Amino acid sequence: MEAGRARPTPFDLDRSLVEAARADPARFDALYRKYVAQVYSFAVYELGDHHEAEDATERTFLSALSALPRFEERAGDDDGSGASTFRIWLFRIARNVIAERRRRTRRRPEAPLDLAFATPDPLDIEATVVDRESASSAWAAVDRLTGDRRRAVILRFVHEMSTAEIAAVLDRSEGAVRVLIHRGLRSAARDLARRGEGRA
Amino acid sequence: MTLERSARDGEIEALVVDRYLESLLARTPRDPSDIPADLRATADALAALPRYHPSFRFVEALSARLAATASGTDIPADVLDFHAIALRSAGDPRAQVRPVVIGGVLTSAAISLAGAAFVAWRRGRPPADPMSRAVRAVSRARLV
Repeated sequence: MEAGRARPTPFDLDRSLVEAARADPARFDALYRKYVAQVYSFAVYELGDHHEAEDATERTFLSALSALPRFEERAGDDDGSGASTFRIWLFRIARNVIAERRRRTRRRPEAPLDLAFATPDPLDIEATVVDRESASSAWAAVDRLTGDRRRAVILRFVHEMSTAEIAAVLDRSEGAVRVLIHRGLRSAARDLARRGEGRA
Repeated sequence: MTLERSARDGEIEALVVDRYLESLLARTPRDPSDIPADLRATADALAALPRYHPSFRFVEALSARLAATASGTDIPADVLDFHAIALRSAGDPRAQVRPVVIGGVLTSAAISLAGAAFVAWRRGRPPADPMSRAVRAVSRARLV
């Protein structure tokens, strides 16, 4: 195998959907529906505003549709870096779109959970709703993390991405992502303890 | 020398925590005795953070716009001016343990349109036993 040459990844479950969308762009819809919620949720955590998140989601998918012919599925190096599946590629687009919007707006109106809780819920059954105060504190602790540390924690905990996937999205090595998450977790733990929310 | 050892220790600790997180997120948490208690508690709290889901109106409108773009007949951007609606996402087994927020509205596994319909059906259905009929009669009397 030639060094530096991209190898097809054996694990991209979206390969057939990507090929179908390349052959007929109208079939991009299947990929869109599979990932729209993930991209939107990532955007909400990053931007803290549902309308901003919708705009970022829209731009992400429009960019992905137009750039799909250039998408290249790749296996990573031995340490996992450099891999690219459709999901990783899409989140890299989302990361760039969101970063641009964050630079432009420089405004964090409210924590997303605050927005959610501001909406009256007529079906609010006590036994089934999340512990809002605790969740709100956890979100606030994550929101206070900086840059890639925050993104890594969100991708790990909310989107349940593997360390390798996060490394590819953030352009880091797997080891660096593990350290980012570990430090993020420690910062959040200190933050929660300071606020009297730590359970330890 | 000391700094190198310290950095390496940090990487090893990060690796141990990562393995624990992997098991935690797979809903099969392994023995957490080698993870500091404060990190465990924080990891548990973060693992319960909700996912956000766009409103169905947004999803459908953006789908239409993507289809129009794909066919070369784009539609105006103002079609994508949305207001949140409250519905429950379905089909994700992880929704059983993680709340989902749709377009700004918090839901959970037990709150759904089907659940609302079930509650309405239960409230409208005549109770079978005398005690339930009595309780309902008292409840109605209080409302009046």
